[in-house]
Amino acid sequence: MEEAYRRITEYLNRFSDAVSSQDGASLSSLLSLSSNHPFLLSLADSLILFQDASRVFKQSERFSQYSEIITHLFRSLQNYRLGNLVDAYQAFEKSANAFIQEFRNWESASAWALEALYVLAYEIRVLAERADRELTSNGKAPEKLKAAGSFLMKVFGVLAGKGPKRVGALYVTCQLFKVYFKLGTVHLCRSVIRSIETARIFDFEEFPKRDKVTYMYYTGRLEVFNENFPSADHKLSYALMHCNPRREANIRMILKYLIPVKLSMGILPKDWLLEKYNLVEYRDVVQALKRGDLRLLRHALQEHEDRFLRSGVYLVLEKLELQVYQRLVKKIYIIQKQKDPTKAHQVKLEVIVKALKWLEMDMDVDEVECIMAILIYKNLVKGYFAHKSKVVVLSKQDPFPKLNGKPIES
Amino acid sequence: MAAEPKAATEEAKVDLFEDDDEFEEFEINEEWEDKEEGKQVTQQWEDDWDDDDVNDDFSLQLRRELENNTEKN
Repeated sequence: MEEAYRRITEYLNRFSDAVSSQDGASLSSLLSLSSNHPFLLSLADSLILFQDASRVFKQSERFSQYSEIITHLFRSLQNYRLGNLVDAYQAFEKSANAFIQEFRNWESASAWALEALYVLAYEIRVLAERADRELTSNGKAPEKLKAAGSFLMKVFGVLAGKGPKRVGALYVTCQLFKVYFKLGTVHLCRSVIRSIETARIFDFEEFPKRDKVTYMYYTGRLEVFNENFPSADHKLSYALMHCNPRREANIRMILKYLIPVKLSMGILPKDWLLEKYNLVEYRDVVQALKRGDLRLLRHALQEHEDRFLRSGVYLVLEKLELQVYQRLVKKIYIIQKQKDPTKAHQVKLEVIVKALKWLEMDMDVDEVECIMAILIYKNLVKGYFAHKSKVVVLSKQDPFPKLNGKPIES
Repeated sequence: MAAEPKAATEEAKVDLFEDDDEFEEFEINEEWEDKEEGKQVTQQWEDDWDDDDVNDDFSLQLRRELENNTEKN
């Protein structure tokens, strides 16, 4: 019992020392449940043993101003140790609310306590996820992650104004993105993005690199969903460029979205990239584009359908079909040119039908004419129809315009 | 990749929200230089692949198909 008392007092002293010496790093370590630090675990055991810990700090003037934060944090820690994650979450949220009340008072001059706030923002998210898992396994509806999202919105509000603490707004934004992407409520990202991107008082480049990279990854993914490819390219390329090179899993995730974006603009990844980051699901797609092989594209999409649907890039990849058609017609054109240069720019629809049949695609002349019309309309082919003779007459100049990093015209 | 098997085991819990591609958390004080290697990874793209070469297997087969067909016609 004495040992338990000593541990609790030690924690209280550390907490109070961290605040009075404005030591953000020490304060953070005292809040980080998920670190499972031996110090916190033995404190939790002491709290379970001691039952009424609040008696200890209510006696002392020194600790009373933090009693709100600490009472709930202790309760959270006990429940966490006992594996009651929903209760742990609830108490943690109360403690975190009390913390941001205090935070408003602390940091007027400097942002020393930001690190502790980061830890709170992270902890509340991962604790909420675990609490939701507990709820689901008890047959209840998961709701804590949503609650954590509301709390993080509140934190964002505290940081997003003027002053030095604004530098922390992007960290909280990234935590919010993770919540919203998990909940499938990505439309909620919009208001935070607007707040980050329209702020004239704060230059985006001044945010910490880790947050800029994470932010660009998530906003890049949003642009992929919106099929805004130039912007997706810009954001994901930024993330790729600045990501810690040792974070291979993150680089792989960036590429998972950047590759379809680049493909849609006619740019291919080199094999090295696909091998190094184990993105072999794109290998056949790339091969299909290079060859003009519609059958291979279809097979590649089928084979990895589940994976592509889950990451939301399936539709982007499906639209590569037009580029593959372009490539196939171009190959037919080149083959004809080698045989008879004078007639090469006239491509009979019948010939395309036959090439497609070879690729196991049953289309009649009318359907092929329709495809060719789309290619011409999208400026993937320059030419016109001689409708009666069922021939596409290709332009003599640049009959197959390259995309050169621009999306297909819509 | 470390993230993959984890995502697979959690898949079993159907009611849970998931994002397979949740970005790994950077450490709060994680520092890195992104100049050198960052460039290497950003230079792995080709935009001039759309050449006139028709000597690959696929093109040769395509040529054979088209020539077959013209004979039949």
